[in-house]
Amino acid sequence: MASNRWLATGNFFTTYQEEQRTFTTRLDQLIFSIFLLTLFIWPLLFELSRTYMLVVDNILIAVVAVLGLNLVTGFAGLISIGHAAFVGVGAYTVASCSRMIGDSHIIITHLWPVMIIAGGLAGAVMGAIVGLPALRLKHLYLAIATLSFQMIFEWTINFMAFFNQGQTIFVGRVMWLTGEVGRSDHYVFWYYVILIVIVMCGFGVRNLFKTRYGRALVAVRDNDRAADAMGMHPGLTKVYAFALSGFLAGVAGALHAYLYRGAGIESFTLHHSISYLAMAIVGGLGTLNGSFWGPAAIQFLDLQVENVAELAGHYMPSNMNLATALRPLTFGLVIVLFLMFEPRGIANWWRIVKSYTKTWPFRY
Amino acid sequence: MKIIRFFLTKCSGDRYIAMSYFFQIVISGVVVGSIYALAALGLVLVYKSSRVANFAHGQIIAAGAFITYALTVWASIPVYISFVLSMLITFCLAWSVERIFLRRLIGEPIISVIMVTIGLASILDGLIYLTPFGTENFSFPSFFPQEPIMVGGVSISWTQLVGVIITFILIGGFSWFFKKSTVGISMRAVSDDQFASMSVGISVPGVFGLAWATAGLSAAAAGCIIGNITGLNFDTLHSFGIVVFPVVILGGLDSILGAVVAGIIMGLIQQFAGGYIDGNWGLNGTGEVLPYIILLIILLIKPHGLFGIHEIERV
Repeated sequence: MASNRWLATGNFFTTYQEEQRTFTTRLDQLIFSIFLLTLFIWPLLFELSRTYMLVVDNILIAVVAVLGLNLVTGFAGLISIGHAAFVGVGAYTVASCSRMIGDSHIIITHLWPVMIIAGGLAGAVMGAIVGLPALRLKHLYLAIATLSFQMIFEWTINFMAFFNQGQTIFVGRVMWLTGEVGRSDHYVFWYYVILIVIVMCGFGVRNLFKTRYGRALVAVRDNDRAADAMGMHPGLTKVYAFALSGFLAGVAGALHAYLYRGAGIESFTLHHSISYLAMAIVGGLGTLNGSFWGPAAIQFLDLQVENVAELAGHYMPSNMNLATALRPLTFGLVIVLFLMFEPRGIANWWRIVKSYTKTWPFRY
Repeated sequence: MKIIRFFLTKCSGDRYIAMSYFFQIVISGVVVGSIYALAALGLVLVYKSSRVANFAHGQIIAAGAFITYALTVWASIPVYISFVLSMLITFCLAWSVERIFLRRLIGEPIISVIMVTIGLASILDGLIYLTPFGTENFSFPSFFPQEPIMVGGVSISWTQLVGVIITFILIGGFSWFFKKSTVGISMRAVSDDQFASMSVGISVPGVFGLAWATAGLSAAAAGCIIGNITGLNFDTLHSFGIVVFPVVILGGLDSILGAVVAGIIMGLIQQFAGGYIDGNWGLNGTGEVLPYIILLIILLIKPHGLFGIHEIERV
């Protein structure tokens, strides 16, 4: 392994194996393991209030969803304005199962890992169907196709009696080795589940980009004709990118349904699609760690906006809800400003800091 | 009108009611469709010159409608003047949006330009929610006689009739502008080949700005007409910005004629779905979803639409 990455002036790999490692140095590996360990241990040390635990869980679910969005928008270069609908497909897979067989049936409560994977598979199938126009078309048309999927999804949920007309469909409490997960442990329990899912997905995506299937996505994004000449099928690669992103979105949706113990249309609207897009852009499109920074930053911003709105609400006429105005305003500003001034997102700041420490005290 | 009367005289009893129901739906379909055409026009203008789909179009439509209302009711300016004034204001608004946000992104990948328009839509959403228009419903004072024009059993209100007439005058004006005027020709030239038009002395960024401004102008006109017909509700108004996508895809993204034809087809489809499918087979609100289903099908089989240029790059 190479020497300290913070002080080395470059990456000096001598074998392909070395280049393909997940961690370039032992120090990286150590830091990452300590970080992961901290994530697993801190809920045992601090007792966080239920409200804040819910916020943390929300961020983690958004991380899974944004990981999927980043695959399709960041790595494969296809805009998806219907990501919340794919998340919704996962959530409604669980919810409609619970509606058919009862919300505390043994399949829902005991076999919940299977249900989560089923949600992911349903999302993948829908992703592949919506991605079908990608066999022939590019950018703008795909954005419009995903937008129309969002509208069709919202309509289906809102007008079908089976989906309870968009009202909440309940999902029962799940069982764990120690028995039913009660109200007090609910959020902590799902914190651990989602964290494990994230670790699995994160490593999965990381390893995917070492294989030909992952590199094909990037190749098609950068130049589809060259990719075609290299023997990849650009259309099928795009459909596959949509399916993959749909899978992660579906998993996020199923987790969402279990965490909120139900699914309702209000969590899967066009606004949510846009905020997922904002998370992906702020984190940094086409970067893996961007998918972790983005949701955290946007959810934090969201909390701050709510606080500001509440504070300013005292000085405003009471019939006005400032939060509904400020939220889209800040999201839009964040999207536009990041695209204009930092298109590589927060993930790029990390790179800047690293190169600064490497060259310090010189400028370059 | 004569045709309608002719058909209606042939029928009697139940058939008469069924026929007049049918024609009522046709009339409202044409009204809705011509508004779609006007709303789609702005999208086509921007796409034609700069190859950018403007996801903030619905918000500009809404802004145009609200500005007209504010000028007419709060500043009590005569409606015809405020109609023109609001068109001028949105003209400047859309131009400055292009100047501030999109001018910097010329040459950036198309994906980030599209996402900037999504961000802009969100910003305009927030700004409109700050005004009373975001949450409350308003309606224009009525400028025309209240009782509708009746032909046989079919009625059309004066507002709708005047709205359709203004729509067609505006669409005719825009087509003329594109075909004959020097500025219009330079816009078409830019859409055809940016480098070639630069070499003959056309300012490409200037044309982009102008295209956005003209789109804003047409959006304000569409907003006023929609506001007069349906009342001023922000959700309804800005949803027009999304429903025009099926229209422009059906018509072909860069064809004004296509926007008109597809707008009317879409309006008719929506109204017929509302009139004949809703309530049967347990279905409701099918008019809202059909355009999007049609959109997905068109993207699969005929992505350049009815009148678009066959230049879509295959992958």
